[in-house]
Amino acid sequence: MAAEDMAFSAMEKDILQELMNIGFGQAAADLAQVIDLAIELSVPDIQLFKACELHEHIATEVDSDREVSIVEQYFLGKFKGIALLVFPAKAGKQLVSLFGLQNSPSRPSSHFDQLEKEAMVEVGNILIGACVGKITELLQDVVIYSPPRVMIEDVRRSSLPKNLFAPDSMAISMKTVFHFEQQEISGQLFLIANQESIAWLKSALHSFLEQYE
Amino acid sequence: MIFKQISDMINTGLVVLDEDLKVQFWNRWMALHSGIEPETITGQDLFSFFPNLNRPNFLRNCRTVFAFGNFAFFSQKLHRHLFPFRPTFSYQERFDYMQQSCTMGPIRDDDGNIQYIFLSVNDVTEVVNYEEQLVELNRKDPLTEVYNRRYFEQKLQEEFSRSRRHKRPLSLLMIDLDHFKRINDQHGHQVGDQALKAFAARLLARIRKTDILARYGGEEFAILLPETSGPSALILANDLRCITSEEHWRCSDVDLQMTISIGIAEEHAEMPNHEALLKKADEALYEAKAGRNRAILYD
Repeated sequence: MAAEDMAFSAMEKDILQELMNIGFGQAAADLAQVIDLAIELSVPDIQLFKACELHEHIATEVDSDREVSIVEQYFLGKFKGIALLVFPAKAGKQLVSLFGLQNSPSRPSSHFDQLEKEAMVEVGNILIGACVGKITELLQDVVIYSPPRVMIEDVRRSSLPKNLFAPDSMAISMKTVFHFEQQEISGQLFLIANQESIAWLKSALHSFLEQYE
Repeated sequence: MIFKQISDMINTGLVVLDEDLKVQFWNRWMALHSGIEPETITGQDLFSFFPNLNRPNFLRNCRTVFAFGNFAFFSQKLHRHLFPFRPTFSYQERFDYMQQSCTMGPIRDDDGNIQYIFLSVNDVTEVVNYEEQLVELNRKDPLTEVYNRRYFEQKLQEEFSRSRRHKRPLSLLMIDLDHFKRINDQHGHQVGDQALKAFAARLLARIRKTDILARYGGEEFAILLPETSGPSALILANDLRCITSEEHWRCSDVDLQMTISIGIAEEHAEMPNHEALLKKADEALYEAKAGRNRAILYD
């Protein structure tokens, strides 16, 4: 598929934007209900870029020159790619208390680093699952997930896989800023899908629109 | 029929739960490891059999999988296990429980609604066992079986920052066997190796569990002493020195006399980093070696 076919028309971008607003809105509402966490998700920002520029893209978007914690999780379906949840490095401690893990009796190792990792893995599973789940549900796809991985790193020297996507292909990034109200924790969620998914996404968006026509 | 057989033959635990977290399916693997038959547990509350799972984290994950259809992962690293099963017999000495890696995910009906969740349970005890052995190998000196230099330097860095953070004392001993080359030259390397082994074992027997003993170089050892002031470290050093010189060492039928020189340094607010502590101990060792069989505290 030629690169120009990858470009989103203004209308397609609007539909996707709208779809993500609905999806993330539902995700936030359900999160509040299901796990008692008040979370705000900002209006998603959609960008297309060359897959080989993934690192630069994240580095510019994250807007931090310090250490960050990243939860990375792959999702696989017709819509496939990688989800990255980016926190400031110090958020781990707040997440531990947000999830009430600090007095968890079942923990064999009460090592705090472990607890922080656990909190991040859990928030990753939930937030990524909720957002990806809602979008794919609206577009009638079902995805499976790889176990999340927690990395602590400098955004500029990221160990994100370099060969995630074919180098000359396009990728789409959907970014939302999230904010947990109880604990004043903010971070960013990136859903990055590859070129194949873009083609699928375009056709799924049109089918989605047809429901309303 | 095929799927029933697969689920009973597969080397993975499979559990299906409904929205009330009652067990809807319990495969043969689960039955064999838990001793609970499918007929006994089906339709029953999972928590009445496994009260350890009735905790916020597990419940939260169940709820989100029902709500979002996401997957939840309970890694061995963080959880060790979900179901307290005995490990298969060859690992019973090393592990109290089977190490498990578990995954939870949604099961949908034809309309795409999530009716059930599944839990898959993988026994990863063998992998964890290898992993732990590898970690151990990576930390130890193969000859003397005390820690190696790499691990020591890592601990030195950690303990140094810990001591800074909590304003607690930390001391370091650098130990060198006097004229060790002579043992090798006179009796051969085999005897030399035996001597190093015996010496390391003797040091290990004298220090606390929290102290870190490492073989730093050929015949050079280091001991990191958390919560220990310089003067206390000097007392220990002199004790080790006496033990060594008074012991009748016998290695491969050869009687040996050994003495050691020890340099001691204590963490000090003016030291920029852990390397400075090491350097001070090294300087004290250099001074001690000038006379042999001495312990010197850097001041």
